[in-house]
Amino acid sequence: MNFELSGEDAAFRDEVRAWFADHREQIEHTRAVDWEAGGEAFERYRAWERALFEAGLGAVTWPVEYGGRGASMVQQAILNEEYTLADAPNRINRLGLGLLGPTLMVYGTPEQKARHLPRILACDEIWCQGYSEPNAGSDLASLRTRAVREGDEFVVNGQKIWTSLGRFGDWIFTLVRTDPAAPKHKGITFLLVDMHSPGIEVRPLIQIDGSARFAEVFFTDVRVPVANVVGRVDDGWTVAMALLGFERGGGLYGPALFNRILRDVVELSRREPRGEGVAADDPDVRRRVAQSYIETRVYELTVQRALTRLARGEAPGPEASLNKLYWSEMKVRLDELALDILGPRAELGPGSPQAENDGGWYGDYLYARASTIFAGTSEVQKNIIAQRVLGLPRE
Amino acid sequence: MDFDFSSEQYLLRDTVRDLLRRECTPGAVRAAWASESGRSPERWRKLADLGVVGLTVAEEHGGAGMDEVDLVLILEEAGRSLLPEPLLETTAVGAPLLARSGSDTLRAEWLPRIAAGDATVTVGLAGSPYVADATADLVVLERQGALHAVTQDRLTLQPLRSVDRARRLFSVTAELGDDTLLSTSAAVARWAFDHAAAATAAELVGVAGAMLDMTVAYVKQREQFGRRIGSFQAVQHKLAETLLLVDSARSAVYYAAWALANDTPDASIAASVAKAYASDAERRANAEALQLHGGIGFTWEHDLHLWLKRGKALELQYGDADLHRRRIADWIYATAG
Ligand SMILES: Cc1cc2nc3c(=O)[nH]c(=O)nc-3n(C[C@H](O)[C@H](O)[C@H](O)COP(=O)(O)OP(=O)(O)OC[C@H]3O[C@@H](n4cnc5c(N)ncnc54)[C@H](O)[C@@H]3O)c2cc1C
Repeated sequence: MNFELSGEDAAFRDEVRAWFADHREQIEHTRAVDWEAGGEAFERYRAWERALFEAGLGAVTWPVEYGGRGASMVQQAILNEEYTLADAPNRINRLGLGLLGPTLMVYGTPEQKARHLPRILACDEIWCQGYSEPNAGSDLASLRTRAVREGDEFVVNGQKIWTSLGRFGDWIFTLVRTDPAAPKHKGITFLLVDMHSPGIEVRPLIQIDGSARFAEVFFTDVRVPVANVVGRVDDGWTVAMALLGFERGGGLYGPALFNRILRDVVELSRREPRGEGVAADDPDVRRRVAQSYIETRVYELTVQRALTRLARGEAPGPEASLNKLYWSEMKVRLDELALDILGPRAELGPGSPQAENDGGWYGDYLYARASTIFAGTSEVQKNIIAQRVLGLPRE
Repeated sequence: MDFDFSSEQYLLRDTVRDLLRRECTPGAVRAAWASESGRSPERWRKLADLGVVGLTVAEEHGGAGMDEVDLVLILEEAGRSLLPEPLLETTAVGAPLLARSGSDTLRAEWLPRIAAGDATVTVGLAGSPYVADATADLVVLERQGALHAVTQDRLTLQPLRSVDRARRLFSVTAELGDDTLLSTSAAVARWAFDHAAAATAAELVGVAGAMLDMTVAYVKQREQFGRRIGSFQAVQHKLAETLLLVDSARSAVYYAAWALANDTPDASIAASVAKAYASDAERRANAEALQLHGGIGFTWEHDLHLWLKRGKALELQYGDADLHRRRIADWIYATAG
């Protein structure tokens, strides 16, 4: 047991840290706007992705042959940590980089890899995830978007929903039903669709915070080459689950973010007036701050244990559900604590002069509420833990 | 970075687990409940022969010369099997404390006998009015800010009855003097408390893990409404949440052991994190274990209550979760903003 970084890892950290320090200006310039505004704002985020790519920091764990560095999971964690510490911008192509890329490396044809991987890396094309449908959420396998084969093409009809980045997507990896007669987990195919194809319509959906970060995507007689199938026709469920494995486990959510939130919460409690003094004098606040310290610290340690196993080459299993359940629920509690410390001031929104951080705590809190829903709800994670880790019967 | 144990450490754990599976069955724990001394010298001897009792004693004194990290998995096993003997008091706290603060004479007199399994040592720190296993050959007592090492001829013991009857608690009065003085350093007393809290957290994880395993096994076979109760989602979710807590507690407990072994600046806080988190995790496992066993779990005959009562006792010893949260809060707000 030891918690020191190896020489190589320490050198990697230093390199990354120095690079972020050199790019302070670009970080601030990018973060001054929200990509969701589109246009020039979105392009700033794309430029940031390109800068990362050119520095070899775009997808460090990708193998060298695909343009990555073949870095270890530990190095990925170091990069994530430094990324948070540098307050660097949101990654607009994380669905391509983190989910589709690794899936293509396992299941893609040589042509698919050659066509897509370099463009994902350079952020030439933005990817969306087309899994959920109006009637297929937790029960993903009940999806109904149809794809009928006509010669070398599939003709796709149907609808996807909650598609993050839908307005900006160039491509969407999607699950379609190719054999309606088969049992529901069979007869699904994993298909790559060019979102600029005729017959695709994207309708923005306004989220709870007023922004339009996700969308509905409608398919009407969209023609997609059969060559865009990943894996085998009718065997898309296998590919879909492998990708979910990358979504839940591969990207062990970085502890640095939560540590920083906690630090900000402590800072807030020291200056937020409460009675004669400040919030930090209140024993109830102190108790909850201490509990938040405990939870963030235990999270960090648990991630280090998991990284040790991954670094030895163990595959992330259903235990990834434990990680997702832990951080998503903890994040809600952290943000709630901040709101409680702010008291009545918490509800003041952007633009109110008295608002703390321009209402940012409330915005973070709302977003935290989504994290117990996306990438598998907390209830679904508990089902997975109960059945696949504890081995409890389904019946 | 390597946050895992070595194969040697796991091997030792497995050896101890096998021994305790044979020697510390629920029947054996019940025997401890019923017997006069509550202790099995034979079992202690076997642990000593394996090198477990003297694990933290230096090799020059006949011990194994290992540290807190080597010991933590074994404490977890002690908790899992409800070991009645004072392994925590002797090996996790008493012996390391003598080694750290005792005079050369004291060390030479006691450490070899402890390692050989011929003598036990226990501790009564400030904040606990009762001393567990105060019949030990040597009792370290914290009084008026000082630590004393006291032999039986200077002690008057009054036995008390614990709800967990395998625990043997005593009120202790002692004739203290300069000749019993071990240390007047507040840092040493704190060090002892940190070790006791972290070791208790390790036992808690073992107790909680055992209750979780028993309950998972039970709900897989018990049927109601024509199906196994483990297939009900209300049951599944309780157990999934409990597993998350217990497994996360392990991270805190193992790190605390490492921090204490390496005397890191955050060692005290790491011990508090471990004790607070493990106490809460055990409390949840304790609650769900009884709830999901239903009526059978409420009987004297079923073994579950042996774990329920040990778990509750350990939750409260060496600072409950709230005490450790206060300690953490004081530390957070004492450090400069
Ligand atoms: C911000 C955000 C971004 C998203 N981005 C994307 C994206 O880019 N691409 C994409 O494909 N999807 C995306 N999603 C969709 C997300 O994956 C789904 O919302 C999620 O899988 C839940 O599906 P649902 O909304 O249909 O809810 P439902 O499945 O209808 O669930 C409603 C409630 O019922 C519970 N429930 C359902 N089934 C069970 C069960 N078996 N046991 C116990 N409880 C159950 C759920 O836990 C939940 O509490 C996004 C969602 C959000 C909020």
